[in-house]
Amino acid sequence: MASLTPSSTASTSNLSTASILQPSTKEPSTTTPPSSSTDPTGFSFPPHYSFPPFFTLQPTLSTRQSQLSSWSTLLQSYCRHLHIFTLSLLDALETPLFYNRTLSRRLSLRDARAVVDYMCSEEGGHRAEWILASQSNSSKKGSKPASDDEKTKLYIFWRRPEEWATVIEDWVDGTGQRGTVLTLYELAESDVTKKEEFHGMEEELLRRCLGVCVKRGKAQIFGAEGEMGVKFF
Amino acid sequence: MTNPTRRTPGLSSLSRTTISTSQYASHGASLRSRQTETLATQLSVFQSLLHEFSITHAKDIRSNPSFRAEFARMCNAIGVDPLVSSHHVSDNEKGKVKGGRYGGGSWWAQALGSTVNDFYFELAVRVVEICRETRSENGGLISVPEVRTRVQKGKGSIGSGIDSVSDDDIMRAVDALSPLGSCFSIMKLGHNMLIRSVPKDLNEDQGTVLEALQVMGYVTVSMLQVNLGWERARAMAVMEDLMADSLVWVDRQAEQSEYWSPAFITGG
Repeated sequence: MASLTPSSTASTSNLSTASILQPSTKEPSTTTPPSSSTDPTGFSFPPHYSFPPFFTLQPTLSTRQSQLSSWSTLLQSYCRHLHIFTLSLLDALETPLFYNRTLSRRLSLRDARAVVDYMCSEEGGHRAEWILASQSNSSKKGSKPASDDEKTKLYIFWRRPEEWATVIEDWVDGTGQRGTVLTLYELAESDVTKKEEFHGMEEELLRRCLGVCVKRGKAQIFGAEGEMGVKFF
Repeated sequence: MTNPTRRTPGLSSLSRTTISTSQYASHGASLRSRQTETLATQLSVFQSLLHEFSITHAKDIRSNPSFRAEFARMCNAIGVDPLVSSHHVSDNEKGKVKGGRYGGGSWWAQALGSTVNDFYFELAVRVVEICRETRSENGGLISVPEVRTRVQKGKGSIGSGIDSVSDDDIMRAVDALSPLGSCFSIMKLGHNMLIRSVPKDLNEDQGTVLEALQVMGYVTVSMLQVNLGWERARAMAVMEDLMADSLVWVDRQAEQSEYWSPAFITGG
């Protein structure tokens, strides 16, 4: 999959998916290009999304930087809206996020990778991180450059782990649960946290955020894989 | 009898002419001074009324764009510019009227309780910020409506009192920057007003292409060849230049590369 050249992927599946597979999802308002289009999910896309060249990474460096930063903002707000913590890049390419069916313009795999690479960088504010198979068990940042084939899944940090740590600490504080042992399942999946932003967070990421709390001396983690608990103090 | 100004014969007419001339002159002088007095009174009354008006309606001037535009139009009609600093005004006629009472500071700032002045200067600062923020995106060319949208959207973040503004306000604010010798200028392309914040001159070809962009939305190299009769190389070169200045973005997913102007990303 990933070894296909991005441009051919884009142009061939462009036709098939748009006209045959998903004619029903097409917006009825194709004739009036809206300044900010909305998604079935209720997400309202920024004006850039209706600007066809936005889907071609610009050759001019300064333009490209500004474009990458706009894409980064879009990705973060989209994931925040849908409450997504991880993205599978290949799947995401078919979603409205990267594929504007109204304009029949889409971001190619290669360009999407460039966007994510930018978000991972210092300049992009570390707003994303590739999840590489080789280091899935550690929470270390990518120490060696990964090949493009490995770059398929990623975290979108619409909040950085440090920010999440604060959010969780505040929640524990606000609900008076300091000193209580909470399981990771309780934190992420139980009804109690249903309204919280961190609800539904994958365990891997949650452990990492809690790790920040531990480092700050605000919490302690118990137990083994699968049934871990955390106590805040 | 038929001609009232006909000369009377004799020497006495000489002295009579002198007398009447001097009488005319003195009468004229007294008329003139009376007129000046009346005007001065009128002007001072007007000033105080305008002052009162601007204070009573300070809120409207700030918050209501159409009211503000009317106010500005009124000021224009009577030949005063709310934005001109006092150093001009008070040195010339306004200073004489009040005997330099409004010496330092802006005459308008005092007369209008700083309302109008501050409003436009605040707005100008916002406009400069927006132009700078978006420069890498649009190469320093941005449409006035786009700036207006952004001013309105960003009002909360800087906590300024800019509630609602019109395109007219934006352009006035840009004009207010000109005494600073700034490079901000208003450009008219087609029927769109744009703010140019990079003082680089566009050559004729680039101007033509930008104008075409306003009309067509986008251009391609072959469109330029067909419509303007340009050589392919010439059209390519112009687009390359515009792209290098971030003035156009390229869309390579069309059949032929399309070039779009980011000044209209909002598409307002």
